[in-house]
Amino acid sequence: MEPIAKKSLIGQRVPKPDAPDKATGRTTYINDMVLPKMLYGKILHAGRPHALIKNIDVSAAKALPGVYAVLTAADVPEMFFGVGRDNRPLKGGKVRCVRDEVAAVAAESEELCDEALRLIKVDYEDLPAVFDPAEGAKEGAPLIHDNKPGNRSLAYQFKHGDVAAAEASSDVVIDSVFNVHYVTHCCMGTSCVIADFDCDGKLTIYSQTQYPYNFKMDLAPALGIHPGDIRVIQPPVGGAFGSKLDVYPFEPVCALLAQAARRPVKLTFSREEEFINAPTRQPVRIHMRTGAKKDGTLTFRKVDCLLNNGAYTSWGPTVPFVMMRTFSSHFRVPNVDIDCRAIYTNNPYAGSFRGYGNVQATYATSIHADMMAEKLGMELLTFSLKNAQKSGEVTPQGARLNECVFAECLQKAADVTDFTAKHARYAAERNKPGRIKRGIGMASSIHNAGGAKIHKSDGCGTMIKLDDYARATVITGASEIGQGIDAVICQVVAEELGIPMSDITIVNNDSAIAPWDVGVHASRTTFIAGNAAQRAARKAREQMLNAASKRANMPADALDLREGWVVHDSDGTPVLKIDKLLREMHFSREPELVMVSEYYEPPSEPENKEHVGDMSAAYSHAVHVAEVEVDTETGEIRIVKFTSVQDVGRVINEMGLEAQLEGGIVMGIGYALSEELKIVNGQVRNPSFRDYKVLTAPEVPPMELHFIESHSSTGPMGAKGIAELPTIVPAPAIANAVYNAIGIRFFDPPMTPEKVARAIWERDSKLAAAE
Amino acid sequence: MVSQATTESQTPQEYAAPSTIEEALRSIADGDATILAGGTDLMLQTKPGGRLPYRRKLVNIRRIAGLRGVGEKDGRISIGALVTITDIANNELLKTAAPVLPQTADCFASGQIRNMGTVGGNICNASPAGDMIVPLLVLDAEVELSAWAKGAVATRLVPLSKFFTGPGRTVKQPNELLTRIVFARPDKKYSVGYIKSGPRPALEISTVSAALSAIRDNDKLSSVRIALGAVGPTVLRAVKAEAYLEGKTVNAQVVAETARLAAEDASPIDDVRATAWYRRHLIQVYVKRLLENDSQG
Ligand SMILES: Cc1cc2nc3c(=O)[nH]c(=O)nc-3n(C[C@H](O)[C@H](O)[C@H](O)COP(=O)(O)OP(=O)(O)OC[C@H]3O[C@@H](n4cnc5c(N)ncnc54)[C@H](O)[C@@H]3O)c2cc1C
Repeated sequence: MEPIAKKSLIGQRVPKPDAPDKATGRTTYINDMVLPKMLYGKILHAGRPHALIKNIDVSAAKALPGVYAVLTAADVPEMFFGVGRDNRPLKGGKVRCVRDEVAAVAAESEELCDEALRLIKVDYEDLPAVFDPAEGAKEGAPLIHDNKPGNRSLAYQFKHGDVAAAEASSDVVIDSVFNVHYVTHCCMGTSCVIADFDCDGKLTIYSQTQYPYNFKMDLAPALGIHPGDIRVIQPPVGGAFGSKLDVYPFEPVCALLAQAARRPVKLTFSREEEFINAPTRQPVRIHMRTGAKKDGTLTFRKVDCLLNNGAYTSWGPTVPFVMMRTFSSHFRVPNVDIDCRAIYTNNPYAGSFRGYGNVQATYATSIHADMMAEKLGMELLTFSLKNAQKSGEVTPQGARLNECVFAECLQKAADVTDFTAKHARYAAERNKPGRIKRGIGMASSIHNAGGAKIHKSDGCGTMIKLDDYARATVITGASEIGQGIDAVICQVVAEELGIPMSDITIVNNDSAIAPWDVGVHASRTTFIAGNAAQRAARKAREQMLNAASKRANMPADALDLREGWVVHDSDGTPVLKIDKLLREMHFSREPELVMVSEYYEPPSEPENKEHVGDMSAAYSHAVHVAEVEVDTETGEIRIVKFTSVQDVGRVINEMGLEAQLEGGIVMGIGYALSEELKIVNGQVRNPSFRDYKVLTAPEVPPMELHFIESHSSTGPMGAKGIAELPTIVPAPAIANAVYNAIGIRFFDPPMTPEKVARAIWERDSKLAAAE
Repeated sequence: MVSQATTESQTPQEYAAPSTIEEALRSIADGDATILAGGTDLMLQTKPGGRLPYRRKLVNIRRIAGLRGVGEKDGRISIGALVTITDIANNELLKTAAPVLPQTADCFASGQIRNMGTVGGNICNASPAGDMIVPLLVLDAEVELSAWAKGAVATRLVPLSKFFTGPGRTVKQPNELLTRIVFARPDKKYSVGYIKSGPRPALEISTVSAALSAIRDNDKLSSVRIALGAVGPTVLRAVKAEAYLEGKTVNAQVVAETARLAAEDASPIDDVRATAWYRRHLIQVYVKRLLENDSQG
C-alpha cells in the first residue's frame, strides 16, 4: 500500500448534497406532499383593516358535500400566542388587519374549500383605522388592542456616554430622517403546513419552520396542548430567510382543522395570499444625528426609531435588538443615545428577515458615513479607517471584537475597485453634460458571526453513529432550509473521521429524533452546528483511534484517519481499514459501537437589562462597493459592478459561501432598487410577482467576491457566520454610488426609476427657476 | 351582427379543437365561445377568482395550421394570428422587412411566455400595454376578421387604429376570429423604432412603450406615425404630435415640441406601477430618443 498523504476538505468547493435532486426535480418539497386520507384547508381572510365582526354565518359552507370542518373563533378556545401574546389563530370580535383569519374550512379539495369560503357570510362594521405609527401614537387614535394603551408595543433604549456633551464638542453634526420600506421574503415555496393528530391527541406537524424545537413551545399555547405532544417534521422547503422563525396563524388554524376533521389537513397559500399574509421586513423611520471632529473622529450618534408594528407582534418589532448594536458599534462611536418604539397600526405585520434590523440600521449608518466624510472634506476611505475598530476593542454594548479585520476589509475593497480615484473622478464629472452618469459607492457594516444569545441557550445538539461499513450518520438539531448546512457538516465530520463525504448521512428533519437547536437564524448555523459536529466527530475519532492504538500497538496520537484508513500520522503508512476497525470493535469480546453526542453552547452571554452583553461568540465585517450608471432621464439605475469584501473567519465550503453571498447580495440589491410591498390604507396593492419586482437574472450585475480569513478562535476550523452581511450592506453602497453619480441622496428606498427621475426633475426645475 | 345571449360560468361546458379555419368559424358561429390561443392571458383571467368567466364552449385554435406563418404577397406582409412572439423574434422576412417587430419581440416577456403567446392573442386581449400592438400601429397594420356567415367564410379588414374601443374591448364580434395581420412592406427610407420602459424590460408590464415611424428624406419627415402604450385606455396614436411633425426637419426645438405634444396626446393614470407624471415624463424621453434615432432605451 502506498502511503496516504494528509489532505483537507476545508476550503474546498463542495456541492450541496441536496443539489442534484433539487436541480432535477426529484425533491419532494412539503408543497408536493400528500398523505393518505388528507384533506385541504383554506382560510377566510378579513380583507379589511379594522372592523367589528357582527355576525358570521357558516351554515351554507357546512352543508356543502365534501366539507369536513368549518371553524370560526366561536369553535375554538380563546388562546393567545405570538411574540407579544396578542394574536389568536381565528379572530373573534374584531379584525385588525386585512390578513386577519376569520374562518377556516377543511374539505376534499382546494376548489371545494374555495367554494365553501364563498358561502360564508360575514357582517362587518368598519371601524376607524390607523396606518401610520406617528398617528397611532397620538391621543384619541383608534385603539387596536384594548389592553395596549396608546397602541404601544415594544420599546427599547440604549444610552452610553454623554451625547449632549459630545454634540457640543463636535465640529460637524448631520441630521437625517430615513424611511425604510416594506419588503417580503418571496420564498419560492409558498407557506404550507400539514397537521395530523393521532387518537391520543398527539400532533404531528409537517412544517417549513426554521426553528423546530422552540416552534413546539410557541405553537402549543395557540392550541392548548402540551408542547411535548407536538412532533415537528421538516420536509424540504423552498426558502425561508427568516419568514419561518415564528408561528403564524395558518399553522394553528391547520392543526385546529385537523383536530375537528379527524383527518390530516394540508394548508397552502397561493402566491397572492403569500404576498398579503406572510410576514414582511420591519419598516422603520430612523431619525439619526451624527457628530464628528474636524479630524474625522466620530463623536456621537443619537437615534430615534419609530416602528410600524402592524396589528400583531411577531419578531418585526424586536429588530431594535440588532439595530441598536449597529448604531452603537458600526465604527467606533463613543457616545450613543438610542430610543426605539413600535406602535400598533392596522397594517400587516413584520417578522424576522435575513439581516434582522441591520439592513435598516446600516442604510442609515453607511449613508451618514458618506455624508460625514463629504462634509469634512475627507476621503470616505480615510474617514472609515479612522473610525474602524481594531481587534480587542469592546463596543458600548459590550461586544468584544476579537479577530477584527474591519480595516483590512476597507482597504482591500478600496484597492480592488480603485475606489478613491474613481470616486473623485465621478464627482467631478457629475455636473458635466451627458445623460448617463457614473458613480461609485462604498458601505460597510458589522454583524454577529458566532450566534446571538437571545434565548436562554444558543446551543446545538449533535449525535454521530458509525455502522459496520464505516458509514456515518450525523443527527443534528441544525435545520437545512436551503442554506447549505448539510454540506458543511459533512465536510467537518469527514475531515475528522477520514471517510468520504458521500458516506455520511444527515438526519435533521424530525424533532422526535434530532436533539435541540435554537434554530436557523443570526448567521449562526455553520458556527454553532459546525462546532457541535466537530466536537462530536472528535469524540468518535478518539474512540476509534484508541481502539486502533490497541490493535496496532502504537499510541493513539501517532495514528490518523485518512481516506478510509487508519494510518501512521507521521508518514501516512496504512495500518488498517476503518470499516474493518469498526467491525472488530463491534464484534469483539468487549464489544463497542461508535455512537457519540455533543451539546455545544457558544461562549456568549445574553444582554442585561441595559442591553449590554457579549451576545455573540464572534463578530465580523463586510465592505461593499457598487459602481452604477444612472440614466438621468428615465431614472433607471444599472449596477455595472458589485464588489464584496467580507471577513468570513475561514472558508469552509467555498461554493456554499459564494452562493450565500451572491444570493444575499441579490436580495440586498432588490431592497435598494426595486422591491417594495406597497401597503396603502392597510391593503397590499401589489400582491404578485408582476408588480412586486424581485431581480431577475439579467439584472444581476457582475460580482467580485473577496474573502478575508481572520481565523476566529471560537469558530469551527476558524470560520465565522456569514449569511446576513451580504443582504445588509448593498443598499447603502448603491445609494452612496447614486449620490456620487448625480448628487442626490435617497433616504427612502427603493430607488425606483420613477423616484430617481422625479428627484432629478425636481432639482433641475428648482435650479432653472433660480436662474 | 350577432348578439345572442351568452352563457358565462367558471368552467366551459364544451370543448372543441378544430384543425381548420372553417371548422373553427362554424364552431363559434353562435358567439357563445371563448377562444384559446397561447392561453398566456386567458388562463390567468379565467382561473378561479379571476376576472373573466368562460363562455359555453372553449375553442382551442392552436391546431389550425392555416393561422400560422409569415408571408409576403404583392408588397404586403401577412402574419398569421397564431404566430408566436418567438416566431416573430426569429423570422427572417420580418428581420429585413420590419425589424421593429423582432426588436419588440425581444423586449417581450420570458422565453416560456414568448413560446406560447401569440400575436393574435396579444391584439385580441386589447391591453393598453400590449407590446406587439405599438409597432404594428405605426406600421399601419390591418387585422383580418373572419366569421361564418350564410354558409361561407366572410372576412373583413379593420385598420388596427380602429380596432380597439377600450381596455379589453375591440370591434371584433363574438363570432369572429382574428385570422391574420397585414401591412404594406415599409419603404426603404422608412425608419421605425420602439422603446419599452422598465429596469427589467422583458418581464415588465410596460409602464410606457413608444414606437415611431416615418419616411426620412434628408432629415425631413413624412408619413409620421407615433404610437404609445400603457398611457391610455388603449394603445393609442399621438395624433397631435404626428400632425405637428409631418413635413418637419428634425432639430432640437422640433424634438422638444413633438415630445410635449405626444405627452398631451396621452391620458395616463396613476396606478400601482407608476404615476401619470412619470408616464408623461417617459413619453417625452422616449419620443425624443426615437426622433434622435437613439433607441438603446
Ligand atoms: C409572465 C407574463 C409576461 C407577459 N409579458 C408580456 C409582455 O412583455 N408584453 C405583452 O404585451 N404581453 C405580455 N404578457 C401577456 C401575454 O403573454 C400576451 O398578451 C400574449 O401575446 C397573449 O397571447 P396568447 O396567445 O397567449 O393569448 P390567449 O391568452 O390565448 O388569448 C388572449 C385573448 O385573446 C383572445 N384570442 C386569442 N387569439 C384570438 C384570435 N385569433 N381570434 C380571436 N380572439 C383571440 C382570447 O380569447 C383571449 O381573450 C405576459 C403574460 C405573462 C403571463
